[in-house]
Amino acid sequence: MNAALFATVCLIAACGLIYELVAGALASYLLGDSVTQFSTIIGTYLFAMGIGSWLSRFIVRGVVVRFVLIELLVGIVGGFSALILFLAFTWTDAFRPVLYGLVTLIGILVGLEIPLLMRIMRERFSFKDVVANVLTFDYIGALAASLLFPLLLVPRLGLIRSALLFGLINVVVGFWSTWLFRHELPQRRTLQVMAVLSALVLGAGLWKGQAITTFAEEGMYADPVILAKDTRYQRIILTNWKDDLRLFLNGHLQFASRDEYRYHEALVHPGLAALPLAKRVLVLGGGDGLAVREILKYSQVETVTLVDLDEGMTTLFASHNRLLALNDSALLDPRVRVVNADAFVWLDQHEGMFDFIVIDFPDPSNYHVGKLYTSAFYRLVRQHLADDGFLAVQSTSPLFARKSYWSIVATLQGAGLRTYPYHVYVPSFGEWGFVLAGAVPYQPPHSLPEGLRFLTVRAIPALFDFPVDMSAVPVEPNRLNNQVLVRYYEQEWEAINR
Amino acid sequence: MSDNSGRSSRREFLVRAAAGLAVALPAAVIARNALGAATNTSTETGAPALIGLSRKGGRPISGGFVEDDAAVGHALRDGRISRNASKREQCRARVVIVGGGMGGLSAGWRLDALGMRDWLLLELASDAGGNSRGGANAITRYPWGAHYLPVPAPDATHVRTLLHEAGVLADDGTFDERTLCHSPQERLWQHGRWNEGLEPLDAAPAAERRQWERFGAQVEAWRATGAFRVPLAGAPHEVGGPAAGTFALDNISARAWLDANGYSAPTLRWWVEYATRDDYGGSLDQVSAWAAAHYFAARDPEEEGPLTWPEGNAFLVRHLTGRAGDRIVTSAPAYAIERVGPRWRVRTPRLDVECDVVIWSAPLFVLPRVMPSVSVPVQTDYAPWVVANITLDRRPAEHGAPLAWDNVIYGSDSLGYVSATHQYLGRPGPESVWTWYHAIVDRSGPGARRWLGARPWSEWRDHILADLSRAHPDIAECVTRIDVKRWGHAMARPVPGLLARNRTLSQWSPAPRMFVAHADLSGFSLFEEAQWHGVQAAESAARVLGG
Repeated sequence: MNAALFATVCLIAACGLIYELVAGALASYLLGDSVTQFSTIIGTYLFAMGIGSWLSRFIVRGVVVRFVLIELLVGIVGGFSALILFLAFTWTDAFRPVLYGLVTLIGILVGLEIPLLMRIMRERFSFKDVVANVLTFDYIGALAASLLFPLLLVPRLGLIRSALLFGLINVVVGFWSTWLFRHELPQRRTLQVMAVLSALVLGAGLWKGQAITTFAEEGMYADPVILAKDTRYQRIILTNWKDDLRLFLNGHLQFASRDEYRYHEALVHPGLAALPLAKRVLVLGGGDGLAVREILKYSQVETVTLVDLDEGMTTLFASHNRLLALNDSALLDPRVRVVNADAFVWLDQHEGMFDFIVIDFPDPSNYHVGKLYTSAFYRLVRQHLADDGFLAVQSTSPLFARKSYWSIVATLQGAGLRTYPYHVYVPSFGEWGFVLAGAVPYQPPHSLPEGLRFLTVRAIPALFDFPVDMSAVPVEPNRLNNQVLVRYYEQEWEAINR
Repeated sequence: MSDNSGRSSRREFLVRAAAGLAVALPAAVIARNALGAATNTSTETGAPALIGLSRKGGRPISGGFVEDDAAVGHALRDGRISRNASKREQCRARVVIVGGGMGGLSAGWRLDALGMRDWLLLELASDAGGNSRGGANAITRYPWGAHYLPVPAPDATHVRTLLHEAGVLADDGTFDERTLCHSPQERLWQHGRWNEGLEPLDAAPAAERRQWERFGAQVEAWRATGAFRVPLAGAPHEVGGPAAGTFALDNISARAWLDANGYSAPTLRWWVEYATRDDYGGSLDQVSAWAAAHYFAARDPEEEGPLTWPEGNAFLVRHLTGRAGDRIVTSAPAYAIERVGPRWRVRTPRLDVECDVVIWSAPLFVLPRVMPSVSVPVQTDYAPWVVANITLDRRPAEHGAPLAWDNVIYGSDSLGYVSATHQYLGRPGPESVWTWYHAIVDRSGPGARRWLGARPWSEWRDHILADLSRAHPDIAECVTRIDVKRWGHAMARPVPGLLARNRTLSQWSPAPRMFVAHADLSGFSLFEEAQWHGVQAAESAARVLGG
């Protein structure tokens, strides 16, 4: 009995400290400035424990029942604290109020535990023994928790599951107490059922903890999320900060409305403005309709075929008000035909020639996307390109991913095309690269459509000039059977992100 | 016994009851159905945890054994084949080719090239192709045997001619990029994760790495001798020729050679045995050290990667059978070849063909059963194989390098699996077919075949799932169907003494105006060997007929 009681003290002390450490670590992780976060959280927590201790005086009867209830409550609140904080950070604007509110609540509950337990033990031991033993085991539990937390829990379980695990321990202590103090609890069935239910809830959290973590982390965008949508192929997130709308696919920024015009004008106009007779245009990828918006500025263009894998994406950009405003309802234009198919397969299975082809795929960060940057793919595209037509390819950054960029150029050359590499500065991306390619020589255009915000006729020739730190490097072309581009790309972005 | 079965049926009942419960429970699913919003996919994703539970409770996996040639083959062996004379048709051809594997198809292909179009090919099975047959389902085509072709050396003329004809090799000597195996080609499961490439060198100790380096140098030395060529016939194998230095390797098994040369590293020995099982269907004990060396030294190490198709080498079969048209007769087991004056009569249950020349392109062991007067001067050890095509409706969980074309589990007694959807150009969906290969090397020939004939499909199913579950713990929840093909005599095994055996065969002819076109003449089963002998037999036939 005695040993069991002191083990209880030890465990609840450990749990109490873990919640404090979780809150401190999470706040440091999310907000930075760990000195401030830990100081304010420890202070708030200790102060709240003081409130709890003071409140314990108002509990006069049913001390044991109250103790068990508090254990269950601490278990639930403390156990889910990390998860609640994560979700509050990603999906609300009120992280700090939630943080300090939660720390205060847990502190009060934890502050109630020890005084109540001491009162329960008062009848069994002398006062001096109660104080000495309870405080001794309290501090031992604190030491154990403070060592376990950095050495075992965070590396092995992560913050969310560590908190859930200790929540579960609190609940187990509560359940165990109903047996320990069974003589003082004639009607303990209800308490036990509550304990089992709490344990189940925490257990479920523990089981699905990883999925929830991923979900919560995916949502960690700098700006408020206005739309989150899972399609068959990707997770689409749209964020908004003042007038800047940003689109993320699987966590990667695709555009920021503040400067996307630079990207899309550069992608379309150097090529299309040089083809005054272009009637048939094909866009591969680019389901956001922003390249199509630029293409529709040419009155001679009769048809625009957009082939994008993801129906979720093209539907979104043909229906959401903010996005329709951004792409000028391009996808609803009668000249535009939207096809949801894999570009490689579609080109392989369809006839049709185009005067201008825009290739706007995500960066080649994996083998699936890498296929769409191979010589086999460009050879297929070439079969659909009119003799005097051009294609324009988004080709990642020649500055951050120099080998990747020049590998794309080499691949287009390997497919028998003349290449004209160029680059522009897009603030939210940095220095960005494109390649114009075709079977005939390219001459920069002498005129551009009205109303462009970035490009001028005079500026275009300058885009084809590469400074020393972005100039061509010797690289291999990308083929289906080597996928060197994916390897270049991985190496280069890893080096940047280190 | 009865107690046992009682228990198992009770367990099955409980499992089924649990499954029923799990399906009945998810209110979300029922509500969606009521709203009419549920399609098949949305009910599946509606309550994954609960549906997952029902699947764990015993997801049904369909399948069974697919047709193999054992029944007809055994009837032929035992003289039980139906000789229904009343419906028998008669016809004539200048050449009859018996057996529609790669040897026979190549013989017909070469006869056409020589302007000798009057030939007829008789195939025992319902499809031509032999070890290069394939199948198909709603998801993809898939192989039942040989599934790739190494990029041929510049002097492999016949292979190159065929590939050029099939549109795989362009005029400028480049191979169609779509047909070369796409990246990532290979991965190996070792130490709890997938690693790119097949060599098990992840975390290998320095001492083992030194052995690997020494072995690499040895392979280079072997390659330099010129003794190891594909097809074999091009190599200088005459006694006293430049390659004679390698012949000592042929007197011992691969294991004896590894032992004698101090190759003790477990990773290296696994690697070499993986190679002998994969190409020859034999263990280190069964295969000649010369044959093992051939596996490593015969190919250029810097090749562009193999040529492959979703259906494997059935692609080549399709090309060859397509151009042959109705000159290929399937389900026509030749059970007797008789002399009729200066000519031959080849008899099948529904058709007798009279011809001037017979090209025998079935395995050598079958020949004496069809022509009791012939005795083959060598013994051939045949490796039994099992190939399974596994249909998946979702991607299994895994850890490490992404799904490759060839996926091998270190330490497994299988050879791993090949993804039939790997060469798909678009973004792959969750469905796929994996072809799982297993050479039976731990039992002797006839015993292994009896065991293979008796082992039920359910044991193969469990064996395959257990094997794959090492790398994919949830594999049983992703598989909908497992079709198993048993190959009793899949391929000749190159046991020690291979070169002497082949020399004996090169001097041998079963009968006048009869030629053999089969990889058995090389003592191991590679496309290039079968094609080489097919071409040779066709040329011999043309000489006889022309002269």
